[in-house]
Amino acid sequence: MAKDKYRKLLRLGIIEENPVIVQIIGICSALAVTNLMANSLIMGLGLTFVTAISSLTISLIRNYTPKHIRMMVQVLIIAAYVIIVDIFLKAYMPEMSKALGPYVGLIITNCIIMGRAEAYAQINPPIPSLVDGIAAGLGYTLVLLAIAFVRELMGFGTILGFRVLGDWWTPWTIMVMPPSAFFLLAILIWIFNNKRNGEVSK
Amino acid sequence: MRERSFIYPIIFMALITALFTFLLALLNHSTAQRIQLLEDTDLRKKILYVLDIAYESDEPEEIERLFNQDVKVDNSFEPPIYYTMEGGEVAAYALPASGPGLWGNIDAYVGISADFTSLLGLEFIKHSETPGLGGRISEGEFLEQFRGLDISSPVDGEYIIYRPAPGGNVDAIAGATQTSKSVRDLLNKDIDRFIIERRGK
Repeated sequence: MAKDKYRKLLRLGIIEENPVIVQIIGICSALAVTNLMANSLIMGLGLTFVTAISSLTISLIRNYTPKHIRMMVQVLIIAAYVIIVDIFLKAYMPEMSKALGPYVGLIITNCIIMGRAEAYAQINPPIPSLVDGIAAGLGYTLVLLAIAFVRELMGFGTILGFRVLGDWWTPWTIMVMPPSAFFLLAILIWIFNNKRNGEVSK
Repeated sequence: MRERSFIYPIIFMALITALFTFLLALLNHSTAQRIQLLEDTDLRKKILYVLDIAYESDEPEEIERLFNQDVKVDNSFEPPIYYTMEGGEVAAYALPASGPGLWGNIDAYVGISADFTSLLGLEFIKHSETPGLGGRISEGEFLEQFRGLDISSPVDGEYIIYRPAPGGNVDAIAGATQTSKSVRDLLNKDIDRFIIERRGK
């Protein structure tokens, strides 16, 4: 019974209510860091960690939090966890910290985290909130990786830094620049929603 | 009851802020040294590279030992100028160069021989150019071109000139025209100013 519930939460977060391609939130960073798969992966994991753990914390203290100051509390908690991720990257993954630059700090303003806190963690028990946060984070990570896969392959001819396309491949400069993520994201949303609407009308 | 209380939200907020501030301060304190060491080592490596001093191991202690042994600092400038001595005379300078890039400021160090006739090396301390395009200025292929580059005959104060322009001595990066231009301009400006200042003394 409980298992089914968690499975449903994961399916909702990753597919049916995917934050990026269904809810269209958190796309600013999806556009910014997706020119290399490694950057997208670390960014996605960072966001998953922050969403999950801040949902857990917010849910734990939800019965003690006065309603009218809950947003202040949420922002405080989210900011604290983001700073933890930032410090961790600086101390143990300096190269990655340099590559992601200001985007780690900008996780604080990522709508997905606040969205999950308001929509789910504020009114549900801790463990489901944690799972819900993980699901939303994974949904975000998968979309980023999908976009980064195309951008890195066509822009550099590599996958996760390994060369897969030979010298005959002419890299597409546009794929390295931010605008290409707009096109790819739009195409992804188009395909996904088409498929989903097809299923609904059946 | 709790909802209507005036003082409860204030106490709640104060407590939770104190808790998280304490957590962050603890984490910051416990990693500060490590982060500082990483940053120092990174800068030392770059200065050694710029001054063409080979280092065999990447160990922070080894880098620090070599740096302290070979490199002197002139802190009267901000950022400081580094130099090496040989037989009681200055052998080479590592001077800071900076200027606007495509997306943000570019900070670099460039090594120059004491007689101002050749460059020893170039390394970027900070830049925010597009990864994969302008960002390639910090790759070896581009930087190696500045190793031992002859600058004894500048044309109108231009030490770095991109091929195929007449007198060209360096290749720009294809697909990153603006970044290449910015790098050339900031190098020419700061090298020229440095040489004029030093010659004047």
